[in-house]
Amino acid sequence: MKEAKKKKKPETSIGVSISALGAFSVYLITGLFLAVGFWVIRNIYFVDLISDPSLTLRLLWIIEFPIVVVIYSLFRRNPEKCSYFRAVGRSIVGLISGALINAFGAVSLGAPIGMQSLPKTIHWSFLMSVFTVVPASAVFGASWTDWHRVFASLKPTGNVEYMILIPAYGAIIGGWFGAWPMPLDWERPWQEWPICVCYGAIGGYIVGQMVSLSLMILLRKHKILKLA
Amino acid sequence: MTTAMTCTRLTIFTVAGIFLQILGLSFFVFGFFPVKPTLSGVSGSESYRDPFCDSSPISNESDLHHPEKLKLLYQELSGISSKYDRLILMVIDGLPAEFVLGKDGKPPWKVWKESMPYTQSLLANGDAIGYHAKAAPPTVTMPRLKAMVSGAIGGFLDVAFNFNTQALLDDNLLGQFFRIGWKMVMLGDETWLKLFPGLFMRHDGVSSFFVKDTVQVDRNVSRHLPDELNSDDWNLLILHYLGLDHVGHTGGRNSPLMPAKLKEMDDIVRTMHLRAMMDRSHDQGQTLLIIVSDHGMTENGNHGGSSYEETDSLMLFIGLNSNISDYASATNNVAFQVDLAPTLALLFGVPIPKNNVGVLVPGTLSSLRDFEQLRALELNSWQLLRLMQAQIQSSSFPGFSCNCFLDGTCEGIDLDISECSGDKEKQLICLFRNAAVLHGIWKSKKSTESSSAMEDFSRALDAYNTFLKTASEWLASKTTEKPVLLLGLGVSAMLISCFICATVFLSLFKEVYHEPKDQVCSLSYLLNLEEMFIFALLLILVISMGSSSMVEEEHYIWHFMVSTFYLLLLFKTAKSFNFSEGMNILRDFKFGSIFSLLISGRLLRGWHQGGVNWTYLPDISKWLQQVGSGYVKWIQLISNFLVIVLGLYTLFRTGLNRKSVRILAFGFSACGFLILLHAGRYQDEMSTDFGATVTVKVIYYLLSISAIGASLVLPWSALNKDKSFLAEVGDCLYSIGSAYILCWCLLQLLLQQPINSGPILLLFLQILAILCLSSNDLQVNEWVEIAALYYMGMAGHFALGNSNTLATIDVAGAFIGISSHSTILSGILMFMITYASPMLFLLSLVMYIGAKLRNHSHSTISTHPETSLGQILKLKLGFPCLVPLCINSILLTAYTVVLLLMRNHLFVWSVFSPKYLYVCATTLCTYIGVCIVAATVTYTFSVTTFLRSNRTRHNNS
Repeated sequence: MKEAKKKKKPETSIGVSISALGAFSVYLITGLFLAVGFWVIRNIYFVDLISDPSLTLRLLWIIEFPIVVVIYSLFRRNPEKCSYFRAVGRSIVGLISGALINAFGAVSLGAPIGMQSLPKTIHWSFLMSVFTVVPASAVFGASWTDWHRVFASLKPTGNVEYMILIPAYGAIIGGWFGAWPMPLDWERPWQEWPICVCYGAIGGYIVGQMVSLSLMILLRKHKILKLA
Repeated sequence: MTTAMTCTRLTIFTVAGIFLQILGLSFFVFGFFPVKPTLSGVSGSESYRDPFCDSSPISNESDLHHPEKLKLLYQELSGISSKYDRLILMVIDGLPAEFVLGKDGKPPWKVWKESMPYTQSLLANGDAIGYHAKAAPPTVTMPRLKAMVSGAIGGFLDVAFNFNTQALLDDNLLGQFFRIGWKMVMLGDETWLKLFPGLFMRHDGVSSFFVKDTVQVDRNVSRHLPDELNSDDWNLLILHYLGLDHVGHTGGRNSPLMPAKLKEMDDIVRTMHLRAMMDRSHDQGQTLLIIVSDHGMTENGNHGGSSYEETDSLMLFIGLNSNISDYASATNNVAFQVDLAPTLALLFGVPIPKNNVGVLVPGTLSSLRDFEQLRALELNSWQLLRLMQAQIQSSSFPGFSCNCFLDGTCEGIDLDISECSGDKEKQLICLFRNAAVLHGIWKSKKSTESSSAMEDFSRALDAYNTFLKTASEWLASKTTEKPVLLLGLGVSAMLISCFICATVFLSLFKEVYHEPKDQVCSLSYLLNLEEMFIFALLLILVISMGSSSMVEEEHYIWHFMVSTFYLLLLFKTAKSFNFSEGMNILRDFKFGSIFSLLISGRLLRGWHQGGVNWTYLPDISKWLQQVGSGYVKWIQLISNFLVIVLGLYTLFRTGLNRKSVRILAFGFSACGFLILLHAGRYQDEMSTDFGATVTVKVIYYLLSISAIGASLVLPWSALNKDKSFLAEVGDCLYSIGSAYILCWCLLQLLLQQPINSGPILLLFLQILAILCLSSNDLQVNEWVEIAALYYMGMAGHFALGNSNTLATIDVAGAFIGISSHSTILSGILMFMITYASPMLFLLSLVMYIGAKLRNHSHSTISTHPETSLGQILKLKLGFPCLVPLCINSILLTAYTVVLLLMRNHLFVWSVFSPKYLYVCATTLCTYIGVCIVAATVTYTFSVTTFLRSNRTRHNNS
């Protein structure tokens, strides 16, 4: 088994590559839409994450999802074989299955099950899916070896894969840490599920974006040095 | 560590570390929870005599069993005329003194003051005198009632260990009153009935269980009041109103219900004052009315800690005839809660309870004559002196002799009044001598001059008061102060033992994982993800122990971390997933096991909503109890059936299909049948039926015989020539281990509440799943798996409904199958019920070792046939014993340090100390489990070696 695993070389990716600057602008746009989402929620619906978490989360993922799909579908594998709209279509499938995976993870870690918290859990997992699974499904599609290489073996190649992998894990780890204050008896409204987990996930996502950017720049310098 | 450790050295080091730990733990426990030195017995007539006199009872006391005679004797000896015939003690649970008396010299808030007009008018007229009576923590009802009637401050361990037998056995006021033939009536909180069974002539107890009920609970007390006030057959009437405490618990101090409740209390005070005290139409004698509260409450209405709001309890005397006229002097008085006991004893002419540390409340005696006042103070001083004598060696009392101060002449003691200095003990003795000398001077002069008598009197009074105050403080501090040396010794011993354990573990770790490569330092070796996680979990646990809310909600951490560990396993399995092989069955098995771990873990988490702050949230057990007991019965039936089927499957899996295994299987099936029978027939009525007891006893015997028999007999019966040595031992251990856990699960199915049979099944499934995973080559280090087993055991501990408060201990289950009351047996049963899950996972280590041996029997060690038994034992048994011990040692030591740091925390008695008791019990559980594992494995190895060598000898000859 082990030999078989070693033999398998990462296949050279055929897709649109992106510079660090391009990645930065992608991040800027997604971050902007996240901010727009929060602005809309605050100024048009007059609620926030604490007062109405399920509405807020729904609006957030509905605003964030299209832009993520639109941008990441540009970087799809085999652009000549796979049309843009196919990438969009498979990212919708990715959204739903990613939401299922995230919901399973959250529930198994102790998220409440019940009719009251069900909509919150659903919308939270859709948002998490937008952060984690949707970009990958837009880019990789059904290429399981790519999924396995990037997400399980943690061996990304190329800037696009960094953009997929690191913010996704950032969001997951951020959400995991975000759950920490929940059992404390501070009696603050934001200690409810899934508010602080959401904050953690968004924070982790942003940190992941920054880390991936700096990694891209570092690696490029490394490469240039090597070439020289 | 240059050379590899031999097995013997490893064992010696470990055992030494454990002994050091036990030693340190006991030092610490005795230092931190001081057991107060108590005098046994009951105060009698000797308390009216000088403590330096021969304490043999007065000759004719033995035939003074008649209460009336005893009462007369006390009256004669005390020399204080008792003005009162009857006492009404009204306890208002949880009423802060601030509500009635105000705070810092200011009158109480307007809302409160206006709610109690009659009481306030009594205070203003000088008919009543009130005290801020400082209560000692823990501020919960039962210990506070004990303090009020016995005058003694109990230690924490008294509270912790007395939740079973609740009767107050120490010398107390009610017992003294009973002895002189008082008739007593109790209405209100049934705690009094538990504390003093059989003492009350009439009683009507109400339960404090329904905290939401703020009205009916008090109406049930007041409905008897008119009748009781009309009758004249009682001497003591106790009224204990719980409603105010319930109002506080539901709405806090500023609850809208509070003014109405205060008004209700005020009306009761008025009724009693007018009917019992002012109305002289009946010949009921003089009545004293005392209104006390057992503790205060915080802003939110909680209590238990040691903040001012909680300890500020009320003591209000009505009908003392004291000459107080202004409101300020009637309200600005401070006393201690324990002062009630000596005050009442002296006012009503009974001996002061033996372990009392309180002093006479100043101001309650002003209606007495001069010599009576001094006599009362003298009696109080003698009683405190007796208590001090138990703690100071008698050589510190030089020259004191019987009746030394009676006439003011005492040989060997100079009768000058001196400034008292020096260490505390000397100072106390000196203060007492001064007071006694002044008392003697006053007595000798009393008849001659009257002008200086006044001055002598006030000097003696002051001297007595100084002595009493100092002595009381000293005695009270004795019960709460902590000996620094003992604590330091304990903590350092535990730190050293923790260090030893860690060193032994690390040396074994290096040997096992770095033997081939000769690495100098382990820096180059990066821990992999799971190992880091295990360490991080330990660190997080240690940190979270410092926060009281994390201690209360500890189950969240365990479940969260254990589930995260499962997810890490899932990640790891996904990482090694290979597409070229496709979905082969082995991988599916692995994924399936991990998913079943995750799902069963989540179900376990949802079974009991444990903790303190969110207990009201819905959970599976509440839901099941709501929908009806039929479902619980079904779950019980299914769990029992599945546990037996799965257990027998694992038992037979090794292929050890011998007669002994079959007998074992039959025994277990019989046990399962009997448990079902017991559940079906006897559980509903909770009867102590003879049949039920016999059935349970039969189950106990069958289970213990099966478990012990399996461990003793199975190694001898395993003879298979085809298999290697290790495979043979592995088979044998696997069978023994499965017998152990099956046995333990069946026992728990019997002992636990019926609702917990589901979690028992789930825990059993978890063990099977993790064993299946580890035998399918999980690529996780052995020690990580063992640590994970330990953590899962702790997560399961909370899943069974346990928490870090003593309230969740299942006391009812501890009496199953015990015909006579035995503290030791029921204690053992209680321990087994509480530590069901950690013990189960520790016992599963036997099975784990067996499974490992079966898997790896052809790989590493069998290639060197000459490896000694010790070496094999070290490699196979080292981690399963060391890892739980190390984790436990680290947690115990860390928590000890935390407790020491938190000793002045508000929640030290309500949160941290109970948790410490649990940590100690977990330590005990770990020791027992590891001992069983070590003994079983060593025994099996030795027996198999012996059989092998016999066989080879036989073959050679």
